[in-house]
Amino acid sequence: MTTLEEAAIPTGRTVARGRNRLGRREGRTALFFLLPGLIGMVLFLLVPIIASVVLSFTNWKLLGKPAFVGWANYTRLFTADPQFWPVLRNTLFFTAEYLVLNIVISLGLAVWISSLRRGQRWFRVVFFLPTFTPGIAVAIVWMLIFAPDGLFDSILRSLPIAMPNMLADQTLAMQAVIIVSLWAGVGYNTVLFNAALDMVPANYLEAARIDGATAWDRFWKIRLPLISPTLFFGTVMTAITSLQVFDQIYVMTRGGPGNATSTLGYAIYQRGFQNFQMGYASAIAWVMFAMIMALTALQFWLQRKWVHYDN
Amino acid sequence: MRLSLLLAAAAMAGTSMLIPQVQAEDQVNLTWQMWGDEADTALWQSLADLVTEEYPNIKVTANISGWTDYWTRLPVLASSGQIADIVAMQSMRMPSFYGVLEPLDSYIAADNFDKTAFESSIMAGLSHDGVQYALPYDVGPWLVYYNRDRFAEAGIAEPALDWTFDDFKAAADKLTGGDKFGYAVQAFDFIAQPIALGAEYFNADNQFDLTNDGYVDAVSKIADLVTVDKASPVFTSGTGAISGSSRFASGNAAMYIDGPWVLLQTKDSVKFKMGVAPLPRGAGESRFITAGSGWGVSAASQHKEEAFKALKVLTGPKAAQILATAGRALPGRLAEQSYWYDVAAKDVSGTHETLEYMFKHSTPFRLNENWNEFENLLTQYMPLALTGDASTKDTLANIQSQLP
Repeated sequence: MTTLEEAAIPTGRTVARGRNRLGRREGRTALFFLLPGLIGMVLFLLVPIIASVVLSFTNWKLLGKPAFVGWANYTRLFTADPQFWPVLRNTLFFTAEYLVLNIVISLGLAVWISSLRRGQRWFRVVFFLPTFTPGIAVAIVWMLIFAPDGLFDSILRSLPIAMPNMLADQTLAMQAVIIVSLWAGVGYNTVLFNAALDMVPANYLEAARIDGATAWDRFWKIRLPLISPTLFFGTVMTAITSLQVFDQIYVMTRGGPGNATSTLGYAIYQRGFQNFQMGYASAIAWVMFAMIMALTALQFWLQRKWVHYDN
Repeated sequence: MRLSLLLAAAAMAGTSMLIPQVQAEDQVNLTWQMWGDEADTALWQSLADLVTEEYPNIKVTANISGWTDYWTRLPVLASSGQIADIVAMQSMRMPSFYGVLEPLDSYIAADNFDKTAFESSIMAGLSHDGVQYALPYDVGPWLVYYNRDRFAEAGIAEPALDWTFDDFKAAADKLTGGDKFGYAVQAFDFIAQPIALGAEYFNADNQFDLTNDGYVDAVSKIADLVTVDKASPVFTSGTGAISGSSRFASGNAAMYIDGPWVLLQTKDSVKFKMGVAPLPRGAGESRFITAGSGWGVSAASQHKEEAFKALKVLTGPKAAQILATAGRALPGRLAEQSYWYDVAAKDVSGTHETLEYMFKHSTPFRLNENWNEFENLLTQYMPLALTGDASTKDTLANIQSQLP
């Protein structure tokens, strides 16, 4: 036994060593193949991210040498800047309203499309069209529609409904931005949810119908729980993009009137590229990043309560 | 940033290897960054060709980008070391960007260059703290564009050179009716017009003082035309800088304020007889601010001597004549301004007298390094005062609180 064991041990070691060497060689090959992607990621993702952290602690103005200012940018943001809290409030307001409306409308459309006997594909294409239309172009067209004495105003006048101009009014301006965002953003979720609804096994619904479940029950108790993972994905992605909203605001309102539509995304652009306060803009960007992280984490935590993974 | 520096260095090393090392008359390739649209490319190229005609060893290549992009790219190019040898600069942006340009005073002195050939207000506009940083190719004061047909219809006499704000207001009121307006206010009107009325937005230290009585009063007068008289539509924060021109061109508004740099395109887009008049004055003498653009030599250029030579040609009499005849620019050079009057502006009534009068009454355009911020805030916040959501005084106090 002992001799056998003694004989076996060195053999085992050689095998392990051989495997290690093989693993290392394979690892090197793998690294080599991964290198193009890795270099790209380090150069265009990791370096800029680290650079923006460093920048947020400086007073860099694009021109000239940056100086280290410690936490000054963050202190100014949270205590001194009169615009930060309104901007944060606008961002959260936009996200909340847009997210709820987007999910409700796109889910409604998806259910409606999947109930159609004919023309499903056609409707899917129609609703998906805005998704691959450039956002800036969309916003410009809508800006012209909502402009004072534009198409929207003249329609209201002929009805006749007395209403202030959408883009000049402090409350309505944000609603105009939300309408445009919905027009541009609903199609993607519609197609996503529609595909998920089509995947719900027909025999479940068939069995429920035989058991006497109404259409309403079948939707709430079978279809919705079964598409909840897709719904969750749609909600998380939509929340992230709406916290970053920029294009529509840049084109339609430039944050105004007053600060009515000024959001974090627009504030970063304004501070960084209009006022050349790169350090300060980076600090806002990091606050935005932290906020998106926190809200996404919250959503992942909440999903335990309503998302069903069918396995 | 370090990578772009490396790339720039590599590119520079590459080009210097290509250039044969000749003693006196080295072939020099200069880059020239400029804004403009595609239609202008040939025009700028013809100016670049003038340089090679004059100095066969210098070749200038124009690099054109859109107006808005130009100002976003400029600091990025400058801080990454990729800025061109010749850099276009606008007078209102000089306080933010003079640092990227080479002071020209020593070149001007060494060359016995005649500065007096240029209109003096724009030479001042393209300098900073008394140091010249660029030479102008165009200049112009903000003035009133008006629809002569509408004036005739309403039976109003055309504006006199020294008309007052009361005259302006009376005309605007009379020209308003139905769905048409007498005037279309734009954001910049709250800068040019208060100055003409004798108000100041700065204190003695060149810092913003937007809540002083004079400025609040002047801004209120203009805002009242919207809120009280309804003689002008509101503008929105998204289009505050441009909404007036389209309303004027379509005949919806009978007057609007802009510079001579849009005269040619406005003239071509309107279907009525058009005239220009000075901005209305207040109780005192008329006074007007002018703006304009020019070109300077990059402080980072490797070929400053050659760039200055090129600059002299680009802002020279022949180039001014080309730009003026094409209607692209009312030249900063006084002698060549006649080409613009006689060719580009010949169908527009009052151009020559108006501009001559305005240049005679020009006042220094006071700016500081936060100027862009101020202009953007005016566009963003003034709609609050125009819709009556906030008083003019509160709106100005709000803007002031956001400026350093």
